Amino acid sequence: MKKKVLALLTATAMTASLVGCGGSADTTNTAETNTENAEETEEAADAEESTEAEETETEGETEATASVGELSYTTLSLDDNKDLTATIKFLHHKTDREEDGTIANMIAEFNKEFPNITVETEAVTDYAEDSLLRLSTGDWGDVMFIPAVDKSDLATYFMPLDTLDNLSAELNFVDNWQFDGVCYGIPYMANAQGVLYNKKVFEDAGIDKLPTTPDEFVADLQLIKDNTEAIPLYTNYAAGWTMGAWDAYVGIVSNGDNTYANQKLVHTKEPFADPGDGTGAYNVYKILYDACANGLIEDDYTTTDWEGCKGMLNRGEIGTMVLGSWAYAQMQEAGDTPENVGYMPFPITVGGTQYVNAGGDYNYGINVNASDDNKLASLIFVKWMVEKSNWCYNEGGYTVVKNGQNPEMYEAFAGCEVLSDQPALAGEETFLNDMNAESELSINAGGNDKVQRIVEAGVTGSESFDDIMADWNQKWQDAQEELGIDAE
Amino acid sequence: MKHKRSFKEWIRSRDGQQVLVMLAFMVVPLLLLFLFTYLPFGKMFSFSFYNMKYVGARKFVGLKNYIKVFQRKDCFGALKLSLYYMLGSVVQLALALYLATILSFKVKGGNLFKGFMFFPFLINGIAIGFIFKFFYTRGFVFDTVLQWCGFQLENLPYWLKDQRINNFSLVGTSVWRYFGQNMVLFIGAIMSVDSELYEAAMLDGANRFQQFKYIIMPSIKTIITLNVILSITGSLSAFEPPYVITDGANGTGTYFVVMHEIAHTQQKVGLASAMAIVLLVIIFMATIAQKLFFKYVFKNAEDEDPRAAARRDKAIARSIKRQERKAK
Repeated sequence: MKKKVLALLTATAMTASLVGCGGSADTTNTAETNTENAEETEEAADAEESTEAEETETEGETEATASVGELSYTTLSLDDNKDLTATIKFLHHKTDREEDGTIANMIAEFNKEFPNITVETEAVTDYAEDSLLRLSTGDWGDVMFIPAVDKSDLATYFMPLDTLDNLSAELNFVDNWQFDGVCYGIPYMANAQGVLYNKKVFEDAGIDKLPTTPDEFVADLQLIKDNTEAIPLYTNYAAGWTMGAWDAYVGIVSNGDNTYANQKLVHTKEPFADPGDGTGAYNVYKILYDACANGLIEDDYTTTDWEGCKGMLNRGEIGTMVLGSWAYAQMQEAGDTPENVGYMPFPITVGGTQYVNAGGDYNYGINVNASDDNKLASLIFVKWMVEKSNWCYNEGGYTVVKNGQNPEMYEAFAGCEVLSDQPALAGEETFLNDMNAESELSINAGGNDKVQRIVEAGVTGSESFDDIMADWNQKWQDAQEELGIDAE
Repeated sequence: MKHKRSFKEWIRSRDGQQVLVMLAFMVVPLLLLFLFTYLPFGKMFSFSFYNMKYVGARKFVGLKNYIKVFQRKDCFGALKLSLYYMLGSVVQLALALYLATILSFKVKGGNLFKGFMFFPFLINGIAIGFIFKFFYTRGFVFDTVLQWCGFQLENLPYWLKDQRINNFSLVGTSVWRYFGQNMVLFIGAIMSVDSELYEAAMLDGANRFQQFKYIIMPSIKTIITLNVILSITGSLSAFEPPYVITDGANGTGTYFVVMHEIAHTQQKVGLASAMAIVLLVIIFMATIAQKLFFKYVFKNAEDEDPRAAARRDKAIARSIKRQERKAK
């Protein structure tokens, strides 16, 4: 008996110690590697920064010749490095394009110019999360689409590509991953925010000019209702996130100010007040309310079907849908009449100009820990992809290269001012998130139910639009007070 | 002389060994119970006193979250929706009890019907949500079936859009899903009733309804009580139908859906934890109230109440004494 007890006790003790050991050993290991990595990368980053600084200094006087030591996007010449030999790996999220061979075709094209650079690719399905894990292990390859890392950590993981000043002279939307004036990422394509419409429905309804103000838009919706069988505005209420998409027009589109969404909004006392001139967030949501109140939306909004609506827009059963440009290609593919799918700027005119909010999609980033040859090869690859692959154009993206060719879908955007949102001010990066959470309005952050409320109120007449806006203003102010954020 | 055993001796003795074995067996389940139930619950309870998100700094705010729960319109307003689900659970239990009674007697194809009616319970709740989303869509399954029955589409309501009836639509799905399970539980309980009782009742000339009232009901009252308590608790925490079918929009957001929204979209973890604790207290109170209620409902069966029997004995004894006194 005694022996048995002893055995039991020792067994428990051993398992316990085993568990303890395993745990502690693991943590110490990772801690060690982490600090090692951090040290290394810090050194590397320091080195990079100093070269960067030198470069910007010398650039003004003499044209700096790009060499492996001082890489930068703008000074890199694709023609000088045709015989470079390297093998690089590209980690990306476009699983569909990997499968249909688009990426392989682009690399084949690339290899015609750079026969000795071998590009391996890997498409990751759950990219947003998996790429972060891969990034923290350090073993992910040479080029990747930058996942959601803190900007202050950029230098730890990614090679500086160029200064913001140099890069923004040649490319659009490069400020998304800039830190202290240095860019670490370049978008592979960009999206613009507008309105999807069916050209044939507009024609049948007798609309010969695209609407540019909320009043014109609602009048056009009425025309569609009167003259055609189509649903004038499909809300996609049931899907939820499609309603939250209305938030994208707060800011640049509705007031032409590219510092509004990320800088001024949190300090605005009444962001939903009516400016009285058909602009501002008030009038963005007012369009939706008016459309609902006048019966210009689908009959039963609670059972809308996102997959089904794509074909309906394509076939001309839906007049308009308010979604980003990324949805355009899907609508075209969903039926037999892709030529009828159109895209137009959001119908708000600020001081005589229609503004378009465009922003970069995922950004190419280059591993800071890669060998010098691989860094050069990666930069060549990125530059080639951005400027020569036509990927952005083929995906229906807004051009990343300044004055590059835009896909046909943006023809209605000619004459519009295209801006992209400026990042939050230093020290205020968390303000918008905090305000969104505290006020529960979640602007551009999944605040679907607040927009659904507009639809419900518009259809049933349970609340007036001004009451809803006043309520939102109140919530916004309460949150400002709670968080101690100054408001004007 | 009895000598006091030392601890060492006691542990070696039969008693000591028994205790030791008991402890060794209990440690694992207790540890799991603690680790996966009580520890997280304790954590949640402490979260409810903080203003916090999942990541980032926490700020101790005392009872502020609880005050907010009672002040906010959406928190307690959502509890009103539970009334719909409670009403649904009454219908559900009545239906289940009725069908269980019929199916527990000899019925043609009884097992087939049992299978059919239990089947919905086996389907995943999310799948049921999607089924009913299409079921209730304008002009789809439900409307088509009603049109076969002669209804005109124009006269039919919008099952999910009309705020007067959309909660009933959702409750309908939950009744459809769970009544089969209740029914099977009832059948199980009814099966355990001694069949001689039915024979005796039939000899006395009792009809089916009387058999139900005087034999079946009293015999399965424990299981009825249990089902009622589970259903009421379930209606207070209804989640799947509104979450999947309407996403809690259009006036169908139950307490759980609101809590989910606050915890995950707005990331107000402290407030959501406080809501969870408040709901727990409400469920406790509802359960206790029901316990008391059933104690009085089933009181009439005398032999169930030992005090009644004692009172009767006392009364008999008193009357005997009185008679004795009279006789003197």
